[in-house]
Amino acid sequence: MSEETWDAPGHESRRGFLNAALGFFTLTVTLGVLYPVGMFLWPRGQKAVTGGATAMKLPLAEVPIGEAKFFRFLNKPAVVIRPNEQEAVALSAVCTHLGCIVKWSEGKEEFDCPCHGGRFDIRGAVLGGPPPKPLTAFTARVEDEYLVIEEA
Amino acid sequence: MERETLALGPMRIRNRQAIRLFAWLDDRLGVKEIVDDEVFEKIAPAYLGLWSCFGGISFFLFISQVVTGALLMVYYQPTIAEAHASVAAIMNEVPFGWLIRGIHAWGSNLMLIAIMIHMAKIFYAGIYKAPRELNWVVGVSLFLFTLGLSFTGYLLPWTQLAYWATVVGTETPAATPLVGEYLRFLMRGGEEIGQVTLTRFFAIHVMALPVITGLTVGLHLLQIRRQGISGPL
Repeated sequence: MSEETWDAPGHESRRGFLNAALGFFTLTVTLGVLYPVGMFLWPRGQKAVTGGATAMKLPLAEVPIGEAKFFRFLNKPAVVIRPNEQEAVALSAVCTHLGCIVKWSEGKEEFDCPCHGGRFDIRGAVLGGPPPKPLTAFTARVEDEYLVIEEA
Repeated sequence: MERETLALGPMRIRNRQAIRLFAWLDDRLGVKEIVDDEVFEKIAPAYLGLWSCFGGISFFLFISQVVTGALLMVYYQPTIAEAHASVAAIMNEVPFGWLIRGIHAWGSNLMLIAIMIHMAKIFYAGIYKAPRELNWVVGVSLFLFTLGLSFTGYLLPWTQLAYWATVVGTETPAATPLVGEYLRFLMRGGEEIGQVTLTRFFAIHVMALPVITGLTVGLHLLQIRRQGISGPL
């Protein structure tokens, strides 16, 4: 028995057929398992909501001069601050390094990122640390008793 | 010229890349020896029949339970407020959730049936006798672990059936002389069945018992490899 019989020329086509059948069966079973498992694991929630209102109003009284006011804009954390009477600065509060939320440091007068020590000035320009670019700026203007913030 | 051929058991591999990859692994890990001795060595004698398959079937079902259980854990919420709703969501909303949970629930019953057939075969054929007494002991502990997995898993959907089954199941050991009351207190994590009970049943069901059972299965199989398959009746 054994090797000679197995490798005899007449068996080649039968072996080819059986190998193809086995391969087809294996492929079918594999896909039949992977498809339900993949569908099961794929998140059902909606994709992250981007957009939302591209402009919003904040009562001027909520934003005293020199104090940072955090709010949500375009479904992301944002901050508005008034350096002086004439000016209002609206920025994305998402650090440009790796996406943490910056906070306003009262005494130092700068935005600091708690994750890796990124530092931004009151207008969002990088002062130090790893951030590659300034905080995304929005336009902010005073209109009557309101601060109007719009996508730049 | 004869093409280079790698012989692994009945397989003849002629793909040169596959042969080189295998040689690379073999140089570093001695894979050929493992494949020859552990994969292609025939350890099952020809006289084994259907009734000898149920240990392996139990093992297969255990692996299936681990895989489907890990998948269910992706959506299950082990809190008394969320448990039932999350199981309902798995059944009704998650694609193929009904299938995964169905395999898990039916698999648990089939696993116990397979284990009991396996035990009956081992018992009636006298395979538990020397030198295999220790493996019988290990096997019985595996049976008890499986019962523990069934009992703890039964509570997790937090239905009326699950709740009252656990009331009864924790009341029964309370009849044990002297330690019964403490046993019930320990199992429930308090006097009543509530969030604490669900949390500890969940921890036991998804972590403690699967790990212990998996390691014990390894010991069970190791003993079979050391002792070989028992002779025919």
